[in-house]
Amino acid sequence: MINVDPPQNETRRDRIERNVFAQLAQMRVSDRADAAVPVPATSNRRAWMFAGLGAAVAAAVILVVMTKSEAPPPAPIAEDTTPSRIVTPVGGESQFTVGDAVIVAASDTSVDVKRAPDGGITLVVARGAVDCDVAPRNQRPPFHVIAGDVSVEVVGTRFSVARTPSPRVDVVRGKVRVRAPGGTWLLAAGDSWTPPVSGSAAEQVAAEEPAPEIEIDRTPAPRNSPTPTLTPTPTLSPHAQYQMAQKLEATDLARAAKLYRTVASSKDAWAAPALFGLAELEAKTNATQALTDCNEYLRRFASSAQAEDVEWLRIEILRSAGRRDEARVAATEYLRQWPQGSYAGIARRIASPP
Amino acid sequence: MGLSIVERPTPEDEAELVAACLAGDVAAQRALFRREFGRVNATIYRILGPTREVDDLVQETFIAVFRGLARFRGEARLATWIDRIAVRVALDHVRARKGTPVALGVIDEPADASVPDAQAHAREGLRRLYAALAQLSPEARIAFALYAIDGRSIAEVARLVGTTVVTAKVRIWRARRELMKRAAEDPVLKELL
Repeated sequence: MINVDPPQNETRRDRIERNVFAQLAQMRVSDRADAAVPVPATSNRRAWMFAGLGAAVAAAVILVVMTKSEAPPPAPIAEDTTPSRIVTPVGGESQFTVGDAVIVAASDTSVDVKRAPDGGITLVVARGAVDCDVAPRNQRPPFHVIAGDVSVEVVGTRFSVARTPSPRVDVVRGKVRVRAPGGTWLLAAGDSWTPPVSGSAAEQVAAEEPAPEIEIDRTPAPRNSPTPTLTPTPTLSPHAQYQMAQKLEATDLARAAKLYRTVASSKDAWAAPALFGLAELEAKTNATQALTDCNEYLRRFASSAQAEDVEWLRIEILRSAGRRDEARVAATEYLRQWPQGSYAGIARRIASPP
Repeated sequence: MGLSIVERPTPEDEAELVAACLAGDVAAQRALFRREFGRVNATIYRILGPTREVDDLVQETFIAVFRGLARFRGEARLATWIDRIAVRVALDHVRARKGTPVALGVIDEPADASVPDAQAHAREGLRRLYAALAQLSPEARIAFALYAIDGRSIAEVARLVGTTVVTAKVRIWRARRELMKRAAEDPVLKELL
């Protein structure tokens, strides 16, 4: 037998555990939202929907005709079977699942969900933006997002697509293929795509935020076609920001902390894991701030599944800082709340008198 | 040396644990995660080698486990059911990556001057092993890794990948033959095999 020893690292295990339970909690919220998505039942509503769909198809045809001269063949869009529309009011946010994908529709968004007989899923964004967390498609039905004349084909990823105020694609994880007038682009994690925009606003954004160097698998585009702008300033959902902060921990602690703080300050379901992540991050460099974060967590999310871990983190920070008496008090408090907890054994040792 | 006793849960305990998890008991879910983490982590790591994607796949496995727990009928051991999910997740990943050339550097780890030569040599062997495995078909790679690296029996490999014992045996044999061909020109790999 070939000897390959997997890494045994409790911090890593705890991190994975935290991510699993945070994601499960988020999925439960999504499931509830999914169940709450109204299914058009009455003939009147259905008639309105078909009228709307007809208008959308007509608009799409006009767009295709207008852009035909320079656009590549559009991505294959499967036949519709059961379209449904999700409309988010201004200032609101809708979360829903379609198959194995978790979608967050941003404020003032209208999106049609279409399922093909083969299970393929197409989201048509009429207005606003969607944030999608989609499993790799290797053996799964295809997943597309259409925003006007921009078509995004999922390779397996987490990404967001905005149609208004201007088309934009941001990739957090994995890869997507973007088809739009001017060519096809394969975007990887961290890449952003916007179509060429005339006017000084886009140039200003590009000047403020230098485009990252990325490798783009580009199929031949017409000569002299405008080059799309690539900018790294996505407007992401709290979940996406949380994931980005996790990745940034390896390279940029300050940005990771800032992102965690942004999410932690919100009322989103990811606020709790973000605050935990922030506390863990700051425990490496600033014990006082980390303790403040832990206390904030225990005050705001006392009944969450991770409260036990945060209480334990607080004890570890106190011990590392040499504040043994306070650690002893904290361990006693931990045992009072979780006498059979995961850290009860070691907490008893810490709580016992020297 | 003390005697370490590993408690194996009886089916009743397991059924109780599953029932508690399904009822939304977070403590039970965490207990299940911690009980199974080591093995799932080891299996996925041994299939994929030292890549950063292992964490994501372990995470994906447990999410699939908890999301699908209601479908666990108790006909097999819970561990076997979970292992099947882990293998499926790894297989999907390997299939998705197939065709993407894996350079040795991709799974590289930072060089550490303090690491003794023997360890550095072993690490280099592993790099070459996983680079060679990446050239195999996903099915052969998984079967070989489960058998020769994770230490499963051929019958277990067949159960986990959902095939017959004969097919599992053939896949392992083919994988070994391919690896030996490569090892003939690569003394570091040969030493490891």
